[in-house]
Amino acid sequence: MNKQLFADPEKCTGCNRCASVCSAMKTGSFAPSVARIKVNNFPHRGFAVPSVCFQCPNAPCHKACPSGAISRNDADVVVVDAQKCIACGSCVKACPYGMIELGEQLVAAKCDHCDGDPACVKECFPGALVYTEKTPELMKLKGMQMKQRSSDGRSEEKRHRLGRAILKQLRD
Amino acid sequence: MNLYTGKLLVVDLSTKEISTEPLRKEWIRQYWGSWGLALRYYWDAVTPEVDPLSADNAIVIMTGPFSGTLVPLTSRLSLVSKSPHTGTIFTSNVGGAFGPELKYAGYDGLIIKGASDSPVFLKIVDDEVSLEDASDMMGKGIFETEECLEDVVGEIGAKTLAIGPAGEKLITYSMIGSESYRQFGRSGTGALFGSKNLKGVVCKGSQSIAVADMPKFIERVTHHKTENLFTEDNLWANSDGTAVLVDVTNEMGIHPTKNYSAGISERKETLNSDAVKAAKISDRACSGCPLACGKFTKIGETEVEGPEYETLCLGGSNCDVHDLEAIIKFNRVCDDLGLDTMSCGSTISMAMEMTESGRHDFGIRFGESDEYLKLVEEIAALSTDRGRDLALGAKRLAVKYDSADMSMEVKGLEVPAYEPRGNYGMGIAYATSERGACHLRAFPIFSETPFEIEALVDEVIESQNFNGIKWSMCYCDFWGSINTEITADLLSVGLGEEVTAAELDKAGERIWNLSRLFNTKNGFGAAEDSLPEKVLKNPLRKGPNAGKTFDPEDFSVALNSYYKKRGWDEQGRPGTEKLAELGLDQI
Repeated sequence: MNKQLFADPEKCTGCNRCASVCSAMKTGSFAPSVARIKVNNFPHRGFAVPSVCFQCPNAPCHKACPSGAISRNDADVVVVDAQKCIACGSCVKACPYGMIELGEQLVAAKCDHCDGDPACVKECFPGALVYTEKTPELMKLKGMQMKQRSSDGRSEEKRHRLGRAILKQLRD
Repeated sequence: MNLYTGKLLVVDLSTKEISTEPLRKEWIRQYWGSWGLALRYYWDAVTPEVDPLSADNAIVIMTGPFSGTLVPLTSRLSLVSKSPHTGTIFTSNVGGAFGPELKYAGYDGLIIKGASDSPVFLKIVDDEVSLEDASDMMGKGIFETEECLEDVVGEIGAKTLAIGPAGEKLITYSMIGSESYRQFGRSGTGALFGSKNLKGVVCKGSQSIAVADMPKFIERVTHHKTENLFTEDNLWANSDGTAVLVDVTNEMGIHPTKNYSAGISERKETLNSDAVKAAKISDRACSGCPLACGKFTKIGETEVEGPEYETLCLGGSNCDVHDLEAIIKFNRVCDDLGLDTMSCGSTISMAMEMTESGRHDFGIRFGESDEYLKLVEEIAALSTDRGRDLALGAKRLAVKYDSADMSMEVKGLEVPAYEPRGNYGMGIAYATSERGACHLRAFPIFSETPFEIEALVDEVIESQNFNGIKWSMCYCDFWGSINTEITADLLSVGLGEEVTAAELDKAGERIWNLSRLFNTKNGFGAAEDSLPEKVLKNPLRKGPNAGKTFDPEDFSVALNSYYKKRGWDEQGRPGTEKLAELGLDQI
């Protein structure tokens, strides 16, 4: 069975090392603003919610792509073929979670599990990110997060809305 | 440029001019970053006699080479200026995420000059920097101000610095808050912003930080993180947080109790790390920190990140308040109104002793937690006679009521939560700190010989020098086992240039001496490197150190030895040889 990346907001401390290492691996410098994983941090409430790509089974980004640049591979990871990407931004609009964005090379960029060895998971000391085969508990956790879909707004607004909704659900 | 952005942001609030200037490369190898670099820039920006609350005073806020990179525990940010509370030069550091964000916006630091004639806030979004009207925010607490700053700017995830009403009212132990529960806590940073009519700063950055060899840098970071950071020396921060020190200091008999009258608290189990963990609902980290020492607690309807050790003591046992819920409320209201919990708590405990002893009736006695919460509001608003009195802080309160026998301060900065009569090293540390009584610059509580003067003097000097360079790298103190060898390794790989531990050690001593030099040019000398009357004369009660004082003769021996070993004269002025050795003779 293929492994999945799961995020547990209750364990997230808001340290952002995941975004830091992701940006370093993917772009060669430290720039969390272009990381493929983001943390929605709510310092006033002492709460943080990671925003990760859910590698959706019927991925809206896949469906929206007009050039066939997006596909789902054998590891069940939704990947972008940079050669085919025309930087139209349709996938960015389509993603309900704000987890695919146009990067600096004008190519759609998203989490690709680092070819089966996710750097973010290795960096996560509190264990808020796990890379493992699914369990009922993990799937329930993922399902709760996947319910928080946005149909419009900027990517960061979609992520923030997911974060706020989870905060409300788990804290209030 | 590697590690640094190479650019400083300069804002003149009098002329409303905003500009950038390149980071002076010749200062990098001498001062490195954060504290050291801020100090050097501050030295050039003002004269030593400058009035802290005047438009002539400057504020220098500086990140370091590792800020915003994967090096753990390097998100701390230094603010250097002259304190309205003590009249000394000082640095105050804040954790959280503002420092890295400033770097992602493209700036190594921020220099603030002048004063605005109307309330403003500074907006930084990468290259777009502007001063905006803050009139609508005046009078608001820090929590509400943070929300306003984020909303007005419309940037999700922007980081903020903000003052509350206490800073607006120029209370000299008011502070600047960030991310609600973090602060540039001590020395009156809030009043500095307030005097400049600067309500806050909001920053969002989307740029990047380069290193010379990224794969090697990550490999070295991971190595040091695993081999050095994740060891017993440091993991307490993750498992217990600073509240662990409640039990530690009680065991040592140096726990501040009832305005420093006793060395142990009989009810420590109400405030120790077990008590805090029972109330904890999450662990919280600063940017880039795996340890997450922050314990976010909730009792009843009140939540706060904390309370940390100092607040548990100076807002707890030292006021004889042993109700964790009350301390959480005290913590939260200080964080919102913008008051340093340490100076506030210490001044309140002094007022409690003055009331109970009949010296002066402030209407508050030890243990009265409802009353002390009311008092915090009165202080922040300057709304009552007693509020206005306590806003003076321990030193000026002692002058007003001839009560130096009850005030616990050095150079006007209220003493932290480690009893010097039970550890002379802490006394020496408090007396020789550049900003007044501070437990951070040297922390010899674990010394096996807490009363052996010479050994303690050596330890204090070594710690102060090391902290000079440590805080110039933005390290958090909770990487307790960090050293200059690891730092030199990471700098070398990050910069692509060879850096040695020896040059970093020298830089630390240079930075400490430069701080001292500023103070001496401002009239500070041996008389000010002193300890409170209580410490010198009153025997401590209760616990393993009952009966002890730090006798004036012993203290005098310690101070003279300290000066001699540092190469300073009998007034504590760095000698010409020492200055030449450190490259400070031309400054």
